[in-house]
Amino acid sequence: MRLTRFLLRRTAQGILVVWGVITLVFLLRFITPGSTIDFVAPLDASPELRQRLAEDLGLNKPIYVQYADYIVNLLQLDMGNSLLKGRPASDVIFARLPATLELAIAATIVAILFSIPLGVISATRRHQPVDYGATGFSLIGISTPNFWLGIMLILIVGVNLGWLPTSRRIIGFGPALELLVFEGRTIGIQVWFEHILLPSITLGTYFTALITRLTRNGMLEELGQSYVEVTRAKGLPETLVKYKHVLRNTMIPIITVLGLQMGTLIGGAVITESVFNWPGLGTLIIDAINSRDWPLIQGSLIVIGVGFVVINIVVDALYMYFNPQVTFE
Amino acid sequence: MSDDVILRVSDLSTRFFTTDGQINAVESLSLEIEEGEVFGIVGESGSGKSVTARSLIRLIESPGRITSGTIEYRDADLADDLREDHPGAVDGEFVDLLAIPEKIHRGLRGTSFSMIFQDPESSFNPSLTVGEQIAEAVEVQRRASSNPRSTRARTRSSEYSLRSYAAAAVLPSRGYVSSESKDRAIELLQQVGIPDPEQRVDEYPHEYSGGMLQRAMVAQALAGEPDVLVADEPTTALDVTIQAQVLDILRDLQEETGMTILLITHNLGVIARMCDRVGVMYAGEIVERGSLGDIFDRPTHPYTQGLLGSIPDLDAAGGRLQPIGGNVPSLLDAEMGDRCYFADRCPKAMEECLEKPAEYPAEGTDDHAAQCYLADHPYEASQALPEDYFEESEPP
Amino acid sequence: MNWQRVWRSLRAEFGRSPMAKLGVVLILAVFLMAIFAPFLATTNPKAQDLSRANEPPVGFTDTTEDTRLVDGERQTVTVTTRGTLEYPLGTNQLGQDMYSRLLYGARTSLLVGLLGTAIAALAGVSVGIVAGYYGGRVDDGLMRFADVMLAFPALVLAIALIGLLGPQPVDIPDPFVAAGLVSDMPETTVLPVTVTLVVALVNWVWFARVARGEALSVREKNYVKASRSLGASDWRLMLKHVLPNSLTPILVLATVQVAVIILLESALSFLGFSGTTLSWGFDISQGRDLLATSWWISTMPGLAIVVTVIGINLVGDWLRDALDPDIEGESGGGMG
Repeated sequence: MRLTRFLLRRTAQGILVVWGVITLVFLLRFITPGSTIDFVAPLDASPELRQRLAEDLGLNKPIYVQYADYIVNLLQLDMGNSLLKGRPASDVIFARLPATLELAIAATIVAILFSIPLGVISATRRHQPVDYGATGFSLIGISTPNFWLGIMLILIVGVNLGWLPTSRRIIGFGPALELLVFEGRTIGIQVWFEHILLPSITLGTYFTALITRLTRNGMLEELGQSYVEVTRAKGLPETLVKYKHVLRNTMIPIITVLGLQMGTLIGGAVITESVFNWPGLGTLIIDAINSRDWPLIQGSLIVIGVGFVVINIVVDALYMYFNPQVTFE
Repeated sequence: MSDDVILRVSDLSTRFFTTDGQINAVESLSLEIEEGEVFGIVGESGSGKSVTARSLIRLIESPGRITSGTIEYRDADLADDLREDHPGAVDGEFVDLLAIPEKIHRGLRGTSFSMIFQDPESSFNPSLTVGEQIAEAVEVQRRASSNPRSTRARTRSSEYSLRSYAAAAVLPSRGYVSSESKDRAIELLQQVGIPDPEQRVDEYPHEYSGGMLQRAMVAQALAGEPDVLVADEPTTALDVTIQAQVLDILRDLQEETGMTILLITHNLGVIARMCDRVGVMYAGEIVERGSLGDIFDRPTHPYTQGLLGSIPDLDAAGGRLQPIGGNVPSLLDAEMGDRCYFADRCPKAMEECLEKPAEYPAEGTDDHAAQCYLADHPYEASQALPEDYFEESEPP
Repeated sequence: MNWQRVWRSLRAEFGRSPMAKLGVVLILAVFLMAIFAPFLATTNPKAQDLSRANEPPVGFTDTTEDTRLVDGERQTVTVTTRGTLEYPLGTNQLGQDMYSRLLYGARTSLLVGLLGTAIAALAGVSVGIVAGYYGGRVDDGLMRFADVMLAFPALVLAIALIGLLGPQPVDIPDPFVAAGLVSDMPETTVLPVTVTLVVALVNWVWFARVARGEALSVREKNYVKASRSLGASDWRLMLKHVLPNSLTPILVLATVQVAVIILLESALSFLGFSGTTLSWGFDISQGRDLLATSWWISTMPGLAIVVTVIGINLVGDWLRDALDPDIEGESGGGMG
């Protein structure tokens, strides 16, 4: 089948890209000024202790041996021990991953829920107040730095109105759901929702604005195509003309752009986490960089790179679903 | 004229309100089309033919608007149905299509009228299969005619709605086009001569050739078994041999079903091959009308004469019009004035032509008429306008 | 490339679109602010006056409760501070003038935005043209590398590189101060070199993609084929035919990229990676812990960013509508 073949091919390409990411991440340590051992060893360490530490960490082997070791270990999901926490880096990373995933997914849902209807309404009521409102919103939305938006939300909704908590993640979605299903208590979900609401709006606004803009412009362009007139001429109800035919074709460019913007989503998650003290990969990576925790830095970057590749394969598959003309040959 | 009239257009004007000014694309147009005939409208591009076609099925979009006139369609059942709620729209067996609500009109599209468009490549949605798009048209009609609530159920066809589409998106097994409509789509594809219709029905437009797509469009237009088919330049985008095949299919289907065809083209060869009666269009007006013989053998309007003089061989389907000297008017209201619009290009323009000419009967059948002073008066060289008359008097 | 036609369509679109006019006005304002900051500033933006810390903007009053020792007894006093014209946008916790800091912050944003875009464009266009023009293996190699670059979210890569390399700030002398036209203003403007290079490094890919697409299509044009068969050198052909044809879409892309890079710079400054303290993002981060008492410290620089980026995006829309280039990916790198 077309889709299976495409997925196989895309996965193979993805593995190549991930390999490139791993290599770059590995090399990052060698272009960084300062010897790694300086960050690991205590300040008053004797030369012998430094030597021992370097041997333990394999830092005195030739670079290609280190590289080979690194890849072999990675294949066993071993990213080394976090220098800071003394635990395997992979444990630390995967403990933080759900928080970031929850945030990214919540933001995506916020964005899709609001942007596509807004874009469609805006395009079908062109030059009416609702269109100007939507266009203005999307212009401001793509021009606002999300960390500042987050701070403003904290200021207004959290500090001044006192409606919602402004930082931390008390409970994960998984445990909250367990509480609901096994004990019938909604408090978990409620607390989870209250905490994730502001961060997901913060992260989602840029995308809401971007997709609104794309949907509106795409719908307007698509509505001018001849087939729309033909579809009307054969007596199809207007709702079907707009949603089955026009919106479906508008999705094609939207998906392309979304695929290219996935890096923005991940980068935005990093900074949103920092604003809301959200214990995800983003805050982890900033801490790791500040303390030169190499295994953690490399591991997080690789996980993010893999996540990006996976998202892109999904986006491409969606693209293919909406656009039968694509063969990816 | 006779009782067989199925479509009676009177005083139809369609205008576009653009930033450059008002464009009178169709100007007080009147014509009658008889049931079961092929009526041709011929003219250069920019003469308002396509806008006329779209006006007939009310597909004029902003900034355009039908500003006056009536389009009366003869359908006794429909008239009975609407008499109570929309008395103003009903006149005997005729219903004024411009006076009924959009919702009712939409129910007539596809089932009472349908349309074939000029460019087959851009007339299909590229991301749905050809079969599904034809099946949609079948479905519109099927659901309309199976609705028992109304004798004229086809005015209430909105049952094929977003809801059923959404339901189908959730439950893939409940396709929004039924297996019956898909079978019918295959049948229609076969009817228009597409090989392997069972396989072709599931292919996408980009997998079809231009000629096949145009046939598929004919199939789609016929899916609702319309009474009137409006064909706007149905063969212009095709090469000559394919043109002939598509025209043959149209002709055969017309003879088979007895439907009425309004054929719009700039190609006199197509007119000669297909039509019973012809209207010649210039600058938004019908300047001469008559039977095929009237127009070809006894052209009266100098414009018609010019058109005919410009093709070497009437039997060549590909014979395109050589432009007559000068340009088609811009149709901008501000530049139109109140004269014969052809006068500036007319080799026989006289002083009388600076006033709007009436329509005069012309030699030939009863139908033959021309909107030209010369149809009723002899040409007098002494009153001829100087050749550079319009160059001087009109703004650059 | 017909420059006259480009100019005409730019003018026509400008006349038609009130939004384009607004964008140009906003951008001009920000540029003038940045260039003439030493003249417009009322106080040295780095000068601290702890006795005037956390004063509200003019027109606002701020009420805080303070515990003081009065005659050996502890008393709670309500202190009301009224904003004054001396500090029109208030002061931060160090008593620095927010208004003057805003002006100097514009310098950092525009400097990094323009320079970063220029470097990204230069690198990206070179790579893209070479890849598109030669095609084949060169193209494959360069574009796969671009894919790997794209797989790193820009902000994450930037944080990693700056965090590891350090900000490497370079002081650029302020010409107005050097010429003795103003005194009591900072003598230098800080250019955070790593930030500039890194934002260019993470954004060159967009230019490479656009330039490659243009080069691919120009390469197939007959006049280029003809020149090649007449023995014109590759470099000559690229400079003469490919580059001018790529300029319109690159211009539009560059405009949008300036906005993207300004947002990126502010995010990096916010996280403390920039190497200069005269930056909008840095000021926002300073006000973050004082939201409950001094809202203006974070609010004002944020508004400055929004206004600047809106201006650039409006100009980008104007260029796009007027020149209508076909750019994949809409606004390029986005804000992360």
